[in-house]
Amino acid sequence: MRTGAAAGRTGYFHEAVCYGSDEELLAVVVPFLVGGVEANEPTFVALGERTGNLVRAALPADTKVEFLSGGDVYGRPTAAIRMYRQLLADLVADGATQIRIIGEVPSLGLGPTWDWWARYESAINRAYDDWPLWSMCAYDTRTTAPGVLADVAATHPCFATADGRHVPSGDYVAPETFLRQVRPMPPDPIQAAPPLVDLLGPTAAQARAAVHQVGQGGLPDDEFDDFVVAVSETVTNGLRHGRPPVRFRVWVGADRIVATVSDAGSGPQDPYAGLLPSANGTPGGLGLWITHQSCNHVTYHRDAEGFTLRLTAGRPLGA
Amino acid sequence: MLTDQPRYRHLCWAYDDPAGFMTHAVEFLRAGLAAGERVWFVVSGPAEPVRDQLLGTRDFADALLSGAAQVRSLDGAYGSTATIDPASQVTAYRSATQEAVADGYTGLRVAADATELVRTPAQRDAFARYEQRVNEMMRTEAFRAMCAYDRSRLGEPAVAELACLHPEHNLGQLLFRLYAVPLRQGQTALAGELDPSNHDLFRTALDRADLRPVEDELVLDAHGLRFLDHRALIHLSEYARDRHATVVLRAARPGVARLAALLDLPDVRVEVAR
Repeated sequence: MRTGAAAGRTGYFHEAVCYGSDEELLAVVVPFLVGGVEANEPTFVALGERTGNLVRAALPADTKVEFLSGGDVYGRPTAAIRMYRQLLADLVADGATQIRIIGEVPSLGLGPTWDWWARYESAINRAYDDWPLWSMCAYDTRTTAPGVLADVAATHPCFATADGRHVPSGDYVAPETFLRQVRPMPPDPIQAAPPLVDLLGPTAAQARAAVHQVGQGGLPDDEFDDFVVAVSETVTNGLRHGRPPVRFRVWVGADRIVATVSDAGSGPQDPYAGLLPSANGTPGGLGLWITHQSCNHVTYHRDAEGFTLRLTAGRPLGA
Repeated sequence: MLTDQPRYRHLCWAYDDPAGFMTHAVEFLRAGLAAGERVWFVVSGPAEPVRDQLLGTRDFADALLSGAAQVRSLDGAYGSTATIDPASQVTAYRSATQEAVADGYTGLRVAADATELVRTPAQRDAFARYEQRVNEMMRTEAFRAMCAYDRSRLGEPAVAELACLHPEHNLGQLLFRLYAVPLRQGQTALAGELDPSNHDLFRTALDRADLRPVEDELVLDAHGLRFLDHRALIHLSEYARDRHATVVLRAARPGVARLAALLDLPDVRVEVAR
């Protein structure tokens, strides 16, 4: 039995809260959470530290809301989807008829790496639709760029407002459409220098060896090892599913490594590639899904030349 | 990819030039003579001409006369050049090793040009199974071997099928090795790199290795495993499931554990190197 604004719906009810003041945020969030607890629904807060504390202080004492650490949940989009899908499946298996979550993309994700969070916001319309979830994603209009807010409108079917209304988003587009849009991929500034590695048609082993030869710079061992996994999977996908020539390049900055893999093809056909494990055995899907969980930013671009996927390990631009 | 593993030395040597192979085989056997081992040089043609050649080679004349060094034809050492029976061949080498030790040698060392034994797919399948069984035999017997294959006649892919089942080989492009190790380390070692370029070869090697679970576990020593991708890990999981066992990757890199956690494979356990 669904409650509140989600009553009568099936699947995922995905709303955005675009607030211009803390009061506006609390005016939406507090009744949302209290309503969930009153209805005995599993109710979660996955906000950053500042907004999380704000909500915690505003809730009536002993409100049985579970606080998830926003930083851990929203480290990487694909990992967030994996975590939430497991959580939702477990809760429904335990008998939940609705789950409520208020979350927010960390401020780091609202900068140059926003594109993969925009894809997240779109993809979850399907990824969470197997469960009776009502969630709200909070965006502070005072600090969020207009381009990001435009994506928020395109990826959230509805806005929750401070006066208690739930207003359909006129700019919403289905994820299959949004995820197929070609987004710009501005170069990382370290790409202005000549790459340290520039290989045409390398095998995955040659690409891995080239990355090892460049070295991990200041990256911790684990992060570097994961980056090598991502490079190997991406080059493998280019060779197996792309069109030659496959070109592999690497740049190294003070606190990050950037690699691009390009080919003359059009890239993965599955719009959810990288965000969800391969659907129906889509070629390369699992490798791209692993890649998205092995780097601190993954983005891609299609143009007349073909398809380019860019991997960033270490501290991504804007962090 | 030659590593120093003095106690369990089983070397695959791919050659393109018979003279070059002869040089390496002689060096390999000379080291055996110096270590007090009986040495056999197993050749594909008649033994006599090679014996005559060795008689003029430093360190070998006396050894050939005393029986410390022997030149044998393939038929003499392997029964026939038809498809070998892995179990019988291992038994034959085990007996010959024990005989050498009984005769006062420290062990038996064999350099064999096995090209004629692996010319057809069926022959290679049987011989590859033998290679893994002989790795296991070396756990307890003072037996060492150099298996040589003429790459110009067999082709690199055929040699790779055999080389990957040796702890040491000289194929630069072959990325991985699967070979029995002392049981305290596990049933077998998996070393090198596994990715789509060698996935089919890996599947074939695992099938031929025919690993048997011990207490429902297949323990693979992974300390030399530099890279493996999700395909190889999923295949290992399926291989274990088919054998009603859990595959344990022991002393693996932490990244392997992270990959296994992502894939949530029920039949795989990763023990990270400390």
